[in-house]
Amino acid sequence: MNTASHDPRALLRKTAMTVLTTFIIVLCVAPFLLVLAISFGRKVEGAAWVWDFTFANYQRFFVGTLWPDEVTFLYLQQLSYSFYFALIASIFAVLTALPFTLTLSKLSRNAQAAWLVFIMSSLSLSEVFIVMGWDILLSNNSGLPKLFRETGLTQWLKDVGWFQTLRDWGLANPRNVKFKTSDFATVLTMSYLVWPYAVILLYPALSRLDPSLSEAARTMGAGRWTITRTVTLPSIRLPLLGTTLLLFVFLLGTYVAVTVFAAPHKQTVAVAIYSNVRGSNLNAPFGSAQAIMLLISASFCLYLGHLLNKKAEAP
Amino acid sequence: MYNMKRRTLLKTGAASLAASSLAAPLIAQSRSLKVGAYGGYFENSFKEYVYPEFTAATGISVESVTQPNSADWLVTMQQAASAGKVPTDISLYGRDTMIKASRIGGMLAQLDLSKIPNTDNMDSYFVFEGSEGPQGVGAMSWFSAMVYNPNEVETPASWADFWDSDLFEASLGLNTIFNSGLLDITAATFFDGTETLMSNEGILAVIDKVRELKPNVALWWNAESQMEQSMKNGDVIGGQYYLDVANLMALDGFPIAATFPKEGNVQDYGSWCLSAGTEKADEAAEFMNFSSLPSTQALMSRKIGTAPLVPQSSTDLTDDEFAFVSGSPSIKPAYEAYLDNETFIKESWDKMLAEA
Repeated sequence: MNTASHDPRALLRKTAMTVLTTFIIVLCVAPFLLVLAISFGRKVEGAAWVWDFTFANYQRFFVGTLWPDEVTFLYLQQLSYSFYFALIASIFAVLTALPFTLTLSKLSRNAQAAWLVFIMSSLSLSEVFIVMGWDILLSNNSGLPKLFRETGLTQWLKDVGWFQTLRDWGLANPRNVKFKTSDFATVLTMSYLVWPYAVILLYPALSRLDPSLSEAARTMGAGRWTITRTVTLPSIRLPLLGTTLLLFVFLLGTYVAVTVFAAPHKQTVAVAIYSNVRGSNLNAPFGSAQAIMLLISASFCLYLGHLLNKKAEAP
Repeated sequence: MYNMKRRTLLKTGAASLAASSLAAPLIAQSRSLKVGAYGGYFENSFKEYVYPEFTAATGISVESVTQPNSADWLVTMQQAASAGKVPTDISLYGRDTMIKASRIGGMLAQLDLSKIPNTDNMDSYFVFEGSEGPQGVGAMSWFSAMVYNPNEVETPASWADFWDSDLFEASLGLNTIFNSGLLDITAATFFDGTETLMSNEGILAVIDKVRELKPNVALWWNAESQMEQSMKNGDVIGGQYYLDVANLMALDGFPIAATFPKEGNVQDYGSWCLSAGTEKADEAAEFMNFSSLPSTQALMSRKIGTAPLVPQSSTDLTDDEFAFVSGSPSIKPAYEAYLDNETFIKESWDKMLAEA
């Protein structure tokens, strides 16, 4: 006789597992399969799309719609800019959050709690709000360019001749400096978006750092920089790598910041997916194919990160 | 005390139940209609000024349904149609979206024009004939106009001025979506207009011309608010923007002016379309008939800022009122090219934008 089937706890566990599995299938697996199925669909010119089984959308992703007459790497370029912005912004966010979190972990318990609550609360701001805020901060009449003009910095740049260089770089119009569109604004906003996550993800590891290690190093005559380099950083390399990786994957899907701040030739896959699925185009199959390619690339990055982690774990 | 309250509640409950069953036949008799309009200022103005007039004239009450825009609404309606329950009796579509809906099939019902005699007031261009009959009646029109900052530049006489880097280096705000007018403007300014956009070579030639404009563009916008902010902030000093909104902004004292250069501005228009599967065809016909009246067209021009689809002479609009919302010449978008050749145009356009 099977006693487990009469055990109410086992029954509860079984029910819970079934419910969870159903949830995962309904909320994660089914939508994914739907996107996968749509990516093989076919676009009807001037109307919407129909179910089909064609690899044309994937072919278009690599070589464009006119292949073999003409080849374009437009969509691969968009993929590379997704990676470019996400990588720089995630590294920048982690590098700036690291010293802050280190300092934070050395404060009193109350002060730590207050800072963490403050940082968590800033997560309630949506991407749209944050981008709007930076948009104003970088605007000609109300932001950084105004500061340049009012303090005479713009005039000074013009006098010494560097203004022309800025114009060549696309960072100025004939009247004043401008930061929209620029990589600077895009990376800044994207880092700002994930900065609270960086702090919250780094905090547990940093707060568990054993202070006796660096004290021991100090008694042996090591300087501040030497301690950071040889004691602190090596002991947190795993959380550092993990945090960067997580933020990177999160930032691959950034939409608003890229549409507003990135130059047209640096638009990313996320923006392209939207313009295909919604908007004036109604080409969900191609949008889905792009989404699948982005997912595959992101999974590949996670796998690489996993390998790196394993390497780091085994010294 | 608690019991008392509870009992009152029960009583009210019973009373309201009785009232609702009593009122049910009344509701069935009163006529109503669900009409879609683009959300925000636009929809609010309809609710405030146009629908009440319609209800007063016909006794049909209007329930307003918010549409995000034309193209995204098509996706919603398509999904709703396959689910068998459509959220509106009448939707508002731009011409290209309307044609798409017509080609997708099963979304738009045929209209009985004999019940909408006032469409005689407007050009037949504004009554859309699908493959099986009329499917859309023009609602209102709008211009995507040339705008500039009058504090920074003289009034440009031609769209060609935008190509002049001495005037507009890194200073323009233009729409980033391929079928939002810039191709039509370029074709009208440097080529043979719509005709040029009917062939692939023509399209590439026009896109090559737009490529020359890139150094002068500071903002490629896709949301209306981006362009609004950038004109207000001085991030851009010229570009392409909606005529009525530009005029409203100018009235509020912002540094923006709209003008009709010698090639004209892009004119697009919206249509009322009857949803397939609705039982309100008669009410909808009365609404479309009301909307096609010169007086209603004038009302929309005054209160919402749209251009009338009937001649100015048939309305009581003054010249100033008319100039606020309309003008000439008008550049008509190359709808057919955008529909029949959209993948090619979109990819070629995106390629041009994606070049460093």
